[in-house]
Amino acid sequence: MSTIESRPPAPTPATVAADAGRARGRPPKGFDRPRFLKLFMGVFFLFLFAPIVLVVLFSFNSSRSLQDFQGFSTRWYETFFDSESLRDSLIASLQIALITMVIATILGTLLAYGLVRARTRVSGGLNMLMLVPLVTPEIVAGASALLLFTQVKLELSLTTIILAHITFSISYVTVVVRARLAQLSREVEDASMDLGATRLQTFRLITLPALWPAVLAAGLLVFALSFDDFVLSFFTTGESPQPLPVRIWTQIRFGVRPTINAIGTFMLVISILSIGLALLLPRLFGRRESGLKVLLGREGA
Amino acid sequence: MSAIRFDAVTKRFGETVAVDALDLEIEKGEFFSLLGPSGCGKTTTLRMVAGFEQPSGGHIYLDGEPVEAVPPYKRNVNTVFQSYALFEHLSVEDNVAFGLKRRRVASDEIRSRVAEALELVELHGREKSRPRELSGGQKQRVALARALVNRPAVLLLDEPLGALDLKLRKQMQVELKGIQREVGITFLYVTHDQEEALAMSDRIAVMEDGEVKQCGTPEEVYEQPSGAFVAGFIGISNLLAGVVQDGGVRLASGATCVADLPDDCGQGSEVHLSVRPEKIWLDELEDGMISLDGTIIERVYVGTTTQVIVELGPGMRVTALEQNTARAHSDDRWQIGDRVRLGWHPEHARVLR
Repeated sequence: MSTIESRPPAPTPATVAADAGRARGRPPKGFDRPRFLKLFMGVFFLFLFAPIVLVVLFSFNSSRSLQDFQGFSTRWYETFFDSESLRDSLIASLQIALITMVIATILGTLLAYGLVRARTRVSGGLNMLMLVPLVTPEIVAGASALLLFTQVKLELSLTTIILAHITFSISYVTVVVRARLAQLSREVEDASMDLGATRLQTFRLITLPALWPAVLAAGLLVFALSFDDFVLSFFTTGESPQPLPVRIWTQIRFGVRPTINAIGTFMLVISILSIGLALLLPRLFGRRESGLKVLLGREGA
Repeated sequence: MSAIRFDAVTKRFGETVAVDALDLEIEKGEFFSLLGPSGCGKTTTLRMVAGFEQPSGGHIYLDGEPVEAVPPYKRNVNTVFQSYALFEHLSVEDNVAFGLKRRRVASDEIRSRVAEALELVELHGREKSRPRELSGGQKQRVALARALVNRPAVLLLDEPLGALDLKLRKQMQVELKGIQREVGITFLYVTHDQEEALAMSDRIAVMEDGEVKQCGTPEEVYEQPSGAFVAGFIGISNLLAGVVQDGGVRLASGATCVADLPDDCGQGSEVHLSVRPEKIWLDELEDGMISLDGTIIERVYVGTTTQVIVELGPGMRVTALEQNTARAHSDDRWQIGDRVRLGWHPEHARVLR
């Protein structure tokens, strides 16, 4: 590696003294942070965001071209919303994401509560089992879900997609909520019961308000995951209406049309909105910690 | 009728016995401490009174009524937790009002009682604060107010001062004792801090391995420890091994000390002689005192006192405490390596089995 060879020679006592004199004015730069890292970072972000920016840009192109930007127009958005089948797909996707969010959040929160609070020897094993969906290749999850639904003769429809999405999402909710719950001292719940609240009142008045930011963040995360999920949906979808990502894929097979850009941009906005809400809402509720910290499990106690 | 009565209460967690056939009676209005090292079962005992744990055997009576079938939220006791366990999403005021609201007390009365409780713990003016904005000592006061405002028959305190720094802890000890006297509620206090227990309690039960080793006033457990464990756990104690001989104790060093022997100590039985360091005199002894010779091997100056460690024989060391009053300057009087004569009045030594 040329960067290693081009490093300055090891400092002798004399140069150390000279460096120390200079360092008082400005800290030595580029010694422990090679300059190529900045370049690397720049390239990384370029590859990450350039395609997205292009999609957004060309969604407003006035011509069919995917190469030349010829003028601003919203015609592809109009085509998108005018197409009944695309509109149905959008509504289907929103339905799937909403229902998945609500049910997975409730079940995942209850699961987290059970795993953290239940005094059982198997909860350690259960904790591991619960992580399995997070590492299972989605294609395996999709194929096995399809297998299951055909085995029990469940007709593929929105219901099957939702079932598959919920199963897949519960783990995410549980992981996020569990981290928060583990920080909530059991003594706080004891204190509530000690002061005359029943078990149910304690959950409603004490536990849930403390978990609220995590539950909210987890729910919106699930919404975003479910809304743009392709693999699971592809395996478990019925004929019609198909969720939007599957619908786009079907269309692309017959050639890429600029409408795709408009749909893509639209989905991007919805995903960013839900993630943004997940990050912001806990703040609006007067919590010091942001949703990001909740998601990453890094909040202060 | 006693405020709390334990009747052969046992608690097992799987194989381990946390509390073993506990019999205790705690009087109304008493400041009663359960004192012991961690894992001795004192917190488990407290949690059984609160209702968070069910006894595996025996009965607990509150005001003469058995409470096994009563869930925690219906027991007329309140707890102050070691971690404070405040409700972070509620203001100080709402924390304190929580118990009253659950009992559907009228809102006017809630307001006045909350104000009164915050006044008692000197937290007026902080009603709207959130727990996270308070210092450790203030949180502790909120926890206390939150429990006291319900006027429970018994207040349970689980090492409530454990998380505070030394100075604040001393200050809170005095305040807590004052508050207890003022409200007249029975306090059941759990601590591993012997000084704290001695300073505050009317009576202390010293626990080890789920059993009460001794129960009595602070003076009783300090001056007349029932066994080696109590003597060693409360304060510093010199425990000298020996055997009973001719109405006294013959120490391993060969010297024989006159001492009051318990009835069950026959000739030749192995015992420990326990003497408190402050009861040991150096040099100028009085008539009738036990007198032993030794060599000073260490001198530790700790401000008001100086600890002098004297070796009586191989492996036999005695700690003596010398007051650093205006009249005494132990620094000038003894050097490490000096031969010294030490002694104590026979009534200050306890023979422990």
